[in-house]
Amino acid sequence: MASTTLSPAVARAHARRRTLRENINWLFVIPALIFFIGYSLYPIIQVFAISFTDYKYLNVTDPTHFIGLQNYIDALQDVKFQQGIWRAVYFTILFLPGVIFIPLFVAILVDRVKNRRLATIYRVILLIPAVIPGPMIFILWRWMYDYEIGPINVILVDTLHLFTFRNAPQWVGDSPLSIPAIAMMEWWWGLGYHTMFFLAGLASIPHEMTEAARVDGANEWNLFWKVTLPRLRPIMLILVVLRFGTAMAVIEEFIIMGGLNSAMPTYTWTVYMWHTAFSLGSWPQGYAAAMGWLGALSMLAVVAFLFWVFRDQDSK
Amino acid sequence: MELTRKQTHAQTDAVSVTMPHRPRLKWTTLAMHATIIFFCLIVLAPIAWVLLLSVKSIPDAYSGTLWPKAFDFTHYYYVITEIPTIWQNMWNSVVVTLSVVFITTTIASLAGYALVHLRLSFGWVVVTIFVMSLFFPTRIVSIIGIFQLQDTVGLINTLPGLILPYVTLNLALSTLIMRGVFQGISHEIAESAKMDGAGAMRIFFQIMLPLIANGLVVVVIVNFVTCWGEFLLAATLTNDQSVRTLPVVLATTFGGIGQWAWPRLAAMYILVITPGILVFAAAQRWYMKGLQEGALKF
Repeated sequence: MASTTLSPAVARAHARRRTLRENINWLFVIPALIFFIGYSLYPIIQVFAISFTDYKYLNVTDPTHFIGLQNYIDALQDVKFQQGIWRAVYFTILFLPGVIFIPLFVAILVDRVKNRRLATIYRVILLIPAVIPGPMIFILWRWMYDYEIGPINVILVDTLHLFTFRNAPQWVGDSPLSIPAIAMMEWWWGLGYHTMFFLAGLASIPHEMTEAARVDGANEWNLFWKVTLPRLRPIMLILVVLRFGTAMAVIEEFIIMGGLNSAMPTYTWTVYMWHTAFSLGSWPQGYAAAMGWLGALSMLAVVAFLFWVFRDQDSK
Repeated sequence: MELTRKQTHAQTDAVSVTMPHRPRLKWTTLAMHATIIFFCLIVLAPIAWVLLLSVKSIPDAYSGTLWPKAFDFTHYYYVITEIPTIWQNMWNSVVVTLSVVFITTTIASLAGYALVHLRLSFGWVVVTIFVMSLFFPTRIVSIIGIFQLQDTVGLINTLPGLILPYVTLNLALSTLIMRGVFQGISHEIAESAKMDGAGAMRIFFQIMLPLIANGLVVVVIVNFVTCWGEFLLAATLTNDQSVRTLPVVLATTFGGIGQWAWPRLAAMYILVITPGILVFAAAQRWYMKGLQEGALKF
């Protein structure tokens, strides 16, 4: 605005100084960008590039060839890969409801606690698993589920006498229970963290709104469906999409609980990809890269679909 | 002033005491607290069990009874003196975690600040890419590329080889959290400081830093937790026990006898998870505030 009253030369000098200032301001972002490009973006593109080759890490004698979409075609016909995708889908279906609805329920209860000190104590206790690193959670639950010394079986056998040590449930390892057991562990791990998300959403509901509804004669049940749930919808949608992505790409829990054994029900597509890239045969990383991208693309398709479904409903 | 406030307090108290539906409310409140406490106990039970296991005598640990007949507190001493690589592994964990927490927190808050308070013409591109990376299985897809990169530059089996990729594990999330926190600070504060002739750096360190302390606590804890226990990259980029971090050693160890008897593993486990819980307990108040200020915004 001021430039209209200035001579052209001065205005140009001002503009130059502004671009210079802006370039200097970019210095604040550049360190983050260097790391992000170097260790996230570049590796992803590199993996995309080798997914079209027959690159094998341990094979140093033969040259690498460009083989087009062959790796993708092979992966789509690979029974272990297909099975791995379905196992991940099965895990995701078990995992998602428990990590959304249980924290929602707990958040609604904790939100009503009037005593501030108690409310803080509850929040801190619920958040403790969130400050234990993931792999440590999986180690802990590998012990919890242990057939002989795991406390779950000890309680089932010694305390409740529901089973004997001959027929007690086999929770992890080669057992149909292992995927549900891991999903249950994830509910436990995510309970506090997701409760905090919902508590933040509940705190944003104006107090007058709930009070007005109560005055109008709404009971708690109506209040939940008519006032609370619609207000929490945006948070729920984001959580569903984010957690869908993490659940489909879960890997460490399966490696720690089930190991690198294709006979185990925990051998999902992520474990298969990692196993292929870093220990099978001569480490065919080109093939593993194609599996990684296929898994990622199918997940992205579902994420896009979820966004589309939710947006469609919101506009109604 | 003080007196009038007390008076109004007394008045509201008097009103609430005479409220007719007070007793009925009590019953539901009790049920509510009981339910919350039930969930808290579920959360605490596994941790309490490991703690108990770490002080059980070895025969009791294998007999499968919950409460031991005899306690044995020597497992902690055994673990820190008898397991040869433990000090090295612990040192690796500390070096890696502190480096990553420091680097990530610094660069994420600088970027978050610039994205909100300095006018960057293409800042939105950076934000869009960071948000998209949260919905993309970045860790799984990039791991082969990261391995090849570290292999090319000779960083396999080294601590810097772990630190560099660890920084990016939570970088996008940390930057977006800091962006949310900076959005809670009004532009006027930065503008008025600029009027007084303060440069971008000075505004950041003298004016912004105290205002974003709670958000920093959240970012520090998030990064601390991820790095302290990271397994996948560590298992990929190291294969030498002496450069591994403590959690990886634990994850690749199965309960057995002798050196790796159950109570000894449990003692090691408690040693590994305690620092995180202590840091959290100490910073809990700021962490909760930071979550409210912007960490849960996007």
